[in-house]
Amino acid sequence: MPLIELIDVVKRYKIGEQEILALDGIDLTIDQGEYAAIIGPSGSGKSTLMHLLGCLDTPTSGTMLIDGIDVSRASGNKLSEMRNQKIGFVFQSFNLLPKLTVLQNVELPMIYAGVSARERRERAMVAIERVELQNRVKNTPLQLSGGQMQRVAIARALVNNPRIIFADEPTGNLDSRTGANILQLFRELSTGGCTIVLVTHDAKIAAQTPRRIEIRDGKIVDSESMDPLLSGQAQLTPTK
Amino acid sequence: MQQVGGIEQVSVIPQEPPEEQQLFADTSPGRTVKDAESIERSAPLISSVTPVSTLGGCAIHRGPITIRGSVDGCWPSYVEINKHNVAVGRNLCDLDLEEAKRVCVIGKVIVDRLWPEFPNYNPIGETILLNNRPFTVVGVFEFYEREQDKRRRQLAQEKANAKATPTPTPAKKRSGRSSRSTPLGNIPFLAKNSTIIIPISTMMFEFKSASVVGGVDQGPNLKLDALTFQVADINRFQEALAQVRRILTETHRTVEDFAFSTREEMFDAIEQNIHETRMSGGLIAGISLLVGGIGIMNIMLASITERIREIGVRRAVGAKARDIFVQIVVESAVIGFIGGLLGLIASAAMMKLLIYISPGKNAPVVELDNVLISFGFAVVIGVLSGLYPAWKASRLDPIEALRYG
Ligand SMILES: Nc1ncnc2c1ncn2[C@@H]1O[C@H](COP(=O)(O)OP(=O)(O)O)[C@@H](O)[C@H]1O
Ligand SMILES: [Mg+2]
Repeated sequence: MPLIELIDVVKRYKIGEQEILALDGIDLTIDQGEYAAIIGPSGSGKSTLMHLLGCLDTPTSGTMLIDGIDVSRASGNKLSEMRNQKIGFVFQSFNLLPKLTVLQNVELPMIYAGVSARERRERAMVAIERVELQNRVKNTPLQLSGGQMQRVAIARALVNNPRIIFADEPTGNLDSRTGANILQLFRELSTGGCTIVLVTHDAKIAAQTPRRIEIRDGKIVDSESMDPLLSGQAQLTPTK
Repeated sequence: MQQVGGIEQVSVIPQEPPEEQQLFADTSPGRTVKDAESIERSAPLISSVTPVSTLGGCAIHRGPITIRGSVDGCWPSYVEINKHNVAVGRNLCDLDLEEAKRVCVIGKVIVDRLWPEFPNYNPIGETILLNNRPFTVVGVFEFYEREQDKRRRQLAQEKANAKATPTPTPAKKRSGRSSRSTPLGNIPFLAKNSTIIIPISTMMFEFKSASVVGGVDQGPNLKLDALTFQVADINRFQEALAQVRRILTETHRTVEDFAFSTREEMFDAIEQNIHETRMSGGLIAGISLLVGGIGIMNIMLASITERIREIGVRRAVGAKARDIFVQIVVESAVIGFIGGLLGLIASAAMMKLLIYISPGKNAPVVELDNVLISFGFAVVIGVLSGLYPAWKASRLDPIEALRYG
């Protein structure tokens, strides 16, 4: 059963009289355990698609199922619940709360899940260990490097055991070596069973993921899924 | 308050007789000593009464010093009725009155001004000249002052004493300074501290036996300048007034050329005043709360614009609009709570200050109710002024909030 299923999803933005067709009839399925990259030039609709997939927004028309739940017409509260329970976000600009410590930042999603303080602490520590920041627990984000901040953000995304993690240009604000480390971490998480969708405009990064979803002018032009064993050659054979 | 005289004190004041009595109005002698004698004799509901004949602008001599003041001729009961206390010597007495003796009882300020070289001088037995007639000082009134002045003076004295004891010898002239300069009594009591009284009989003989108007002697002036009495039982106030009215109607030959001036009006006015002060206090408190509320609201609105990104992050990790709303309201309530706490601390300090500077019976009273109510108000204002910012924050679009800044 697919984890995510989009059928003819359309997203329109209205700015005064002008209408922008940000997503123009998207059909897409993502299965449990996939590691995919959404790729396309700037303005093609990648972020818009990720916002829909991440339940930050609803489509203008079309159907969107996440984990079997139709969220295309869901209420604000339902979307919040989905984000809290099923989805983890990693942003280009980290989006940590600067006044909270690493531990408190990682605990944040569990506060809205109603987890008890003790369990919050325990689970946050596990997530922090997973990104290897256990000796930075009491620091605030401003005392960390960019790579460390992104690791905190990944720990925060993992902590509620979501069904899928979305990362919008997660290496965009990092130098190439740190970026490579972060991508390595994603690969490890993927190997461990996490479903991950990256958004990037960088073909080199997209080349590292088993699946690429290429988008142009709001339409999916290529949605190949290649056998990881055949990586390299499979790029040429779309399997729609 | 106690020093101005209580509600039981009533003055008989002159008034224009009514229209229909104009024809025989001249038959009334006006307020005379006879009125006072009649009241004393025939009004059991009146505890004491005094006639007063005043000599204004009197020249008062002692040696080289001349001052001007006002002298009251009266009965000994004047002292009781006007809440005077004789501190040194004695009051006037009936014998002084009968024999029209040239004796006087004088206020502390008069003593200080006539004997400026001697602090706390005891002038009993000294002779002073009132319009060039010699009078013997038989008594001195107590020094009247406000409670807070008294307390301040006592504190200063204690301090001076404490300083003086370890070094007793250096008796410079300075040491006398603090006690010498009796401050000119504050406004309500300057007049009272400058009182000079003499027997009314003496006043009549010495100063009122002729009244010269425009070079023509009008004969003796026996009319009083004041006629004051004190009601024995405040619960029978109106009854007592009726009694006096009957007597005076008799002595004034049915001419209604007098009226009563009671302290009741004054007390009503004071009460009104207190009421208004309370009202305006409430108004000020209300305005403060409003201004404070607007302040909190502004702070919250500003903090929200500063924290749009934070709100976006919280929404992204699963906060519902309601969670954001509650967060902002709670923060605002906490500001109100802390503000209320600071307010309580500040008012406790103010209260200490007020208790220090205000007279004993006027000391502010702190009621737990009021404390709780004002504290509660502060919190409520915090909550109320957080509502609008909270509503705004909860309606932010998560995507735009995340992108902000
Ligand atoms: N909130 C919005 N209001 C109006 N237009 C928008 C909004 N968000 C995105 N768009 C438009 O939709 C198109 C796709 O944008 P976006 O999804 O951000 O592209 P990408 O992330 O691939 O650069 C762009 O033309 C953009 O201007
Ligand atoms: Mg984008």
